[in-house]
Amino acid sequence: MADPLAPRVLDVRRLEPPEPMERVLDALTDMPEDGRLWVLHRREPFPLYDLLRRLGYAWRTLGEEERFEILIWPADFPPSRSELDWRIPC
Amino acid sequence: MLNTGGLSLDQAPPIRVPFAFFLAAPLFAILAGGFLLWQGNLALLTRWSPAALAVTHLIALGFLTQVMCGALFQMLPVLAGARVAAVTRVAPLVQGCLVTGTLSLSGGLYWGGALWLVVGAVLLSCALLIFIGAAGLALARARGVPRTLQAMRLALLALLMTLLLGGLLVAVLLGAPIGGFTHWVDLHLGWGLLGWVGMLVMGVGYQVVPMFHVTPAYPPWLTRAAAPLVFAGLLVATGLTLTGSAVPAAWGFGVSVSGLVLFAVVTLILQRRRERPRLDVTLIYWWTAMLAALAAALVWALDGRVEPIGVLLLIGVGIGLPSGMLLKIMPFLSWFHLQHRQVTTRRFDVRLPYMQVFIPERLARIQFGVFLGALLVTVAAAGWPVSGWGAWLARLGGLGLVVSSVLLWWLQAGCVWRYREISRRLG
Repeated sequence: MADPLAPRVLDVRRLEPPEPMERVLDALTDMPEDGRLWVLHRREPFPLYDLLRRLGYAWRTLGEEERFEILIWPADFPPSRSELDWRIPC
Repeated sequence: MLNTGGLSLDQAPPIRVPFAFFLAAPLFAILAGGFLLWQGNLALLTRWSPAALAVTHLIALGFLTQVMCGALFQMLPVLAGARVAAVTRVAPLVQGCLVTGTLSLSGGLYWGGALWLVVGAVLLSCALLIFIGAAGLALARARGVPRTLQAMRLALLALLMTLLLGGLLVAVLLGAPIGGFTHWVDLHLGWGLLGWVGMLVMGVGYQVVPMFHVTPAYPPWLTRAAAPLVFAGLLVATGLTLTGSAVPAAWGFGVSVSGLVLFAVVTLILQRRRERPRLDVTLIYWWTAMLAALAAALVWALDGRVEPIGVLLLIGVGIGLPSGMLLKIMPFLSWFHLQHRQVTTRRFDVRLPYMQVFIPERLARIQFGVFLGALLVTVAAAGWPVSGWGAWLARLGGLGLVVSSVLLWWLQAGCVWRYREISRRLG
């Protein structure tokens, strides 16, 4: 059974453009004002960053070939240390 | 990975720049199909017929080069991370010269007339030199995606060689005393089809195949070797022709063909290993183009007629691949620009449609079906042009090309109409 307290992770690795961006923007629409969204992507989504900035979000990307973890949060509600340290399980 | 650390839509040209090229291109495919419909197998009996020369240039310049110019004006800022200088003034100038030059040259090749040939050659030289200058400058400054950039730089050099050789051939047609006409034509074709088209397809493919079809990346050995192999082969062929060894020059072309065959085979294997099982029309167009390229290489290796090779490369790859990419890229650009416009205007009450709405997949499949029928019938007509059915097959192929190109234009126009309608609602 899914842990209700587990961070919200959106896996878009198997989607073709622009579906990953569509899914991320849809997810942000439903996110509470102090919420966080973890995205698992197969490429670093550079075009998304410009939109996030304009929408008032901040982000942090960690990644390597074929696997990038992007943590997105409202710019006014920065993440805690433990949220920054959390990694999406493989 | 794209060098897009600072990518924003501000760096890309206005959407009207690539769309102007994309919307004008099918009109030339309609003209080429109309020529086939009108001339029948006269256009396919021999590559030296006036009709064949006119159709070849309508497709190669009017359709293919036009789409490639529009796509590169769109892609270069993304790859280079820098805007092409004065793109809103340079692009219409390039397009104006390209359109009028192609019409003039094709008319001159069909009806004869030195004036049309000269006007065509001058206008095309203006169009392509300005384009090569603008694109070359951006490519010289570009960083990142080294293999894609390498293939694109080599493709641009190949375009320059094609243009120089084309100028030489026009001079011969006007009476300049230069020997070995057919060998220069072979080089012009080689640099144009294998070099400009082939290496540009490679450069674009290295990025868009893994991205749009969710496949593994191209293997490094291929991206390192394929385009340089094509280029080296063409250099060898040119060198041998210049030194009067035109027959062994075919070995140079063989090296180039092997580079493209490798690319086509690896592309088909990667697409079989794609993560998403969905068969969209762009993917089917890629398969068709890669199989057409392989079939052309096979006919060439077996020393078959050159006319079906030309049909496979010009229609199968030259019209097919850009058509498939247009059906993906135009909705993508429309959606992407609208998304940014919505964020800029803060009009979140307007619901943006998903990308598939801009060009309905079902209609795109019908368009592909007509195109495939036209391709197969025209290949058959070029393979057996003197049979009793040859003339009718050629006319049927021409009709199919006209219908599929009208359908392509109609789908593109629908995409632009939807884009404008939503853009208006966003204010």
